Parts: sequence; C-alpha cells; structure tokens
Amino acid sequence: MGKRSRKQIATEHDKNKQKDESDEIVLAPVISSDEPPLKQAKWTNKERVLVFSSRGISHRARHLMIDLRTMMPHSKAESKMDRKDQLFVINEICEMKNCNKCIFFEAKKKMDLYMWVSNCPRGPSAKFLVENVHTMSELKMTGNCLKGSRPLLSFDKEFDEHPHWQLLKELFTQIFGTPNHHPKSQPFFDHVFTFSISDNRIWFRNYQILEEDGSLAEIGPRFVLNPIRVFEGSFGGPTLYLNPGYVSPNEHRRLIRKQVAKKYIHRVEAKKSLEDRKPEYTYPSDITDDVFVTIRPDK
Amino acid sequence: MVDLHDSSDSEELDSDEELQRAFARGELKTGLNYEARAPKQIINNVSGMKQKLAELQKNLDWIEQLDLTNGPAPAPGGQEEFTEDEDVSNNDFKRELRFYRQAQASVLEGIPRLHKLGIKTRRPEDYFAEMAKSDVHMKKVREKLLEKQQNIEQRDKAKKLRDLRKYGKKVQIDVLQKRQKEKREMLDAVKKFRKGQKNKLDFLDDNTEKGKGKRGGGKNQDNKVQQPNKKRQYKNQKYGFGGQKKRSKQNTKESAADLTGFNPKVNQSRPGFNKNKSGNKNKPNKRGNKDKNKRPGKSQRHKMKNKR
Repeated sequence: MGKRSRKQIATEHDKNKQKDESDEIVLAPVISSDEPPLKQAKWTNKERVLVFSSRGISHRARHLMIDLRTMMPHSKAESKMDRKDQLFVINEICEMKNCNKCIFFEAKKKMDLYMWVSNCPRGPSAKFLVENVHTMSELKMTGNCLKGSRPLLSFDKEFDEHPHWQLLKELFTQIFGTPNHHPKSQPFFDHVFTFSISDNRIWFRNYQILEEDGSLAEIGPRFVLNPIRVFEGSFGGPTLYLNPGYVSPNEHRRLIRKQVAKKYIHRVEAKKSLEDRKPEYTYPSDITDDVFVTIRPDK
Repeated sequence: MVDLHDSSDSEELDSDEELQRAFARGELKTGLNYEARAPKQIINNVSGMKQKLAELQKNLDWIEQLDLTNGPAPAPGGQEEFTEDEDVSNNDFKRELRFYRQAQASVLEGIPRLHKLGIKTRRPEDYFAEMAKSDVHMKKVREKLLEKQQNIEQRDKAKKLRDLRKYGKKVQIDVLQKRQKEKREMLDAVKKFRKGQKNKLDFLDDNTEKGKGKRGGGKNQDNKVQQPNKKRQYKNQKYGFGGQKKRSKQNTKESAADLTGFNPKVNQSRPGFNKNKSGNKNKPNKRGNKDKNKRPGKSQRHKMKNKR
C-alpha cells in the first residue's frame, strides 16, 4: 500500500463530513472491547465475619473451619488464639480486623468443640457445643458449588416459635448470608444452607441446587449445634437464655462411667429395696383357720 | 437408667444423729431415701431477647438476606413420609429426608422469587469459575461412585452366574441320568431278546422313531437313519458292547463251507499255466500275469466278505 498524498486524505475526510451532515444519521455509541465492563452495583451491607479458633483444635474441626471460610467469601481468617487470653479480647481482635461478626471455635481436651457466634461490638452472642462434624472433603458429599456464590438460607418453621430461636435465626442470617454485591461473591445461586431444629439442637446442612425443580446434592460441611447459653453482650454479659436440657460433655462422660461403675451397687440396692418393700404378710390370715381342715384322700 | 440422685459428694453430709432427729420429728419415712437434686437453673429472659433482636435486626430487602422459613416440602409420591410430631432425631433416614424436603421447599420458593426480581439463578454452561471443591477432588468423588456401582454390578453378575451354574448342573445331571436309563433299558431289551423272551425287535424301532420325532422336527433331513459319525461307529465297534471282536471267532460252519469267494481261475491255476494260451498275446496287461492271478491280502478279503 503506497502512501496516499495529504490532499487525497483531506478530501476524503471532507467527503465523510459532508455525508454525515447531509444524511443526519445519528450513530449509536460504540463500545470498544478495551473498556472495563460495567461496574457492579455497590456493596452496601457491610458484613465481615472473623472465623478463627483457639489452640488445641483437632484436624476435623480445623477442616470444618476452613470449609466455612471457603463457603463464606465475606469471612476473614486469624491465627490461633492462646487459651491464656480471656474471651473479651476477641472483641478487640474483631475491631482491629474491622469485622462486625465472629465465629470462634474453642477446643477443649482435644475432644470437645465449642462454637461461639457473636455480633462483635454490642452483642448478642451464643455458645454452642458442636457435634457430628462432617467436612466438605468427605467422598460421600458429592455436590459442588461456585466458590463464593450467595447461598439461600432455609430455616425450620420452629425458628419462629420461641424468642431464643428467633434471635439465633437473625444472628445466623447475618453471619452465614453473603452480602449482596460483595466483591468476592459470584453471581449465580447454586447452593442452599439448611438450618433445622430437631431434638432441641440445630442441624446444619449445605445442598447444591442441581435442578431448579428441586433436586439437590449435599456439598457439606454438616454439623449439629447444641445451644448452651445466649448472652446479652459479645463474649460475655448477662445470660439471656440457658438451655435446660444441656449436659456438658464432661458430665456426660462422667455419667457413663458412673453407670458402669455403679452396676454392682445398683444391684445390691435394688435387692435391698425389694426386701424393704416386701410386706411381712401378703394377706392377713388366721393360724387357727386350718385346725379343722381334714385332708381327704384322693379318689 | 442413669441414677442422677446418687451423689455421694454432696456438700452437706447428713450425720446419723441429724437423721435420727429428723425421723423422730416425722420428716423422714422408712425405706430408701434419696437426696433430691437442686432444681436446675432456668434462665429465659424473653423481654431481653426481644429487645436484643430488635437492636440486631437490620431492615433490609429480602434480596440482601435471602432467608426463607418453611416446613418440609410434600413428597412427590403423595405418601406421607413422616408426621409432624414424630421425633426423627434417632431415625437417620427420616431425619435427613426431612432436612432434604425443607431445603427443597426453600428452593421451590426462593428461585421463582429471584426470577421475579429479574436475577439469573442458573449458571450458563460456558461460565467457568473457581469452584468450592477442586476438580481433582470431584474426580475422586466420581471414581468412588463408579466403584460402588461396579461393585454392585459385579455382585449381581456373580449371583446370576452362580444361579446359572446351579441350573446348568441340574440340567446336566438330568440328561446323564436319562441317557443311563435308556442304555439300561436297551441292554435289558437286548438280553431279553437274546434269551428268547421277546420275539420282536420293536424296541429298536421305537427308539429311532422317538429320536426322529424330537430331532428331525426342525431339521430338513432325508430318510437316513441318524447314526453317529464314522469315528464313533468305529470306536463303538472296537470298544463297545462286548469289547473287541477281532480276536473272537470269525468262522462258523456255514462260513467255512461257503464257496462264493472261490474263483477257480485265481485259486485253481498253477503259475505260468495261462502263458501259452492264445488270449494273452493280444492284451498285454499293465501289471503282468502274475499280478492278475494274485490272491488279495487278508484285510482285503475281510473287507470283501463284510461287504457281501
């Protein structure tokens, strides 16, 4: 292609201009591919959850914590807290990290796992005993979802019955629900968190939505929360609710051991109580009744 | 049954004297006395909780929270899987089913609601993004599922094979027994015939007819009698029914006196007898005179005799 002379180019430009003016075509705005895509709507619901644990946590609980962090894009991680520090220190840690909610896993005796959920500056907070933990990496959990997609939250009808359940429901909604337009969230809805109440405990399940008509596959993790207490403040303060049916794991173990040990003693006591309960005479009878009884020979 | 009342480590240890005094007053009864446990602490600050709830609540649109409250969805078959009051906490299957149904109900309510708000819920096929579980992990999951399925299939196959083998063995035994029975009957019939009890040879005809009827139905055979193949016949002759005939007697009185195989030209001539006769010059034979008059060998004679 040879160089075109300046005159030629100028005339062409003039021609185009004339064309535009004469035809009066309003050209549509052209979007070039170099421009960045349309910005998402703003993220207004600023929820940040701090998820961390104390020392002495078992590997299963650690994996549960990691799974929760994966599921919640609005979560932040923190290194393990020393058991020496008191619990209200957590409020300060949350403030430093600019988080307004917290999930804290406390492991005792390397066997028992407790979970604190709290709304950090002012409360309320709740302490649970975590049971029946299954992590996401178990091979029976066949579902999968987008990392950071917003979950649908499904609550049992019983959550509306009592005030302590209502309070916990609100707390869970704010903690587990990913905020709208969060920068790390993904646009589509492909999983649902289920909170159900059974046997005075909260059962958590995470299902993948396979089809819009309702077929589901479990993704994991799954755990059971046994509520212990609900506090007015964050990690402290007066107790609002105490679970009457709660038996601490220590006491539970103690009772089992006692049962085994006391087997013999129970048996002895049972025998003794039978003796005490037994009346001396089953029914009143007179010894002189059989004086005139004659025993006839059998025919 | 756990005995919660038996606490030997209580704070107040009642001494014997105290107990005696209480009994005298009439506060204690005879029999075993259990120490009642202190009533459990019950804290249920309803008003406080309600206040806290009001403080905590943020009145946002549903789209921000995405929370749904519902009971379990109805089962597709129309049957009731579990009643409302039933305690399903110990029945694993029913419990999980109840949670599944609850999630289903939420999905059936939530997805249309999102669609109404104009939000796409379905991930398009070409949208590739990071998943919560890695591809490697999902591959392992798939392999495990496949393995389970294959195990089931293998077990089914093995079961079928075992059943088939049992059936096949049964059929084999039946057939063998039938054959043995036929053989026995045949032998008996032959014996009877030989001993003169039976005049007719009808048992032979019956068998072939029966055999034909069964086997010749489908085939397009001619009137040829079904025979085993030549090899089988030879073997039968050699080893069956009485063993070798080779070393048994071959001549009877009649066969020795039989002169049909006697050709005087071959057997009654002297060698060189016919050399000078007129006919020989015209026809030079291939073999030579010797060979023309030669007597065939034993096996050839045997064959010729049997053919007759």
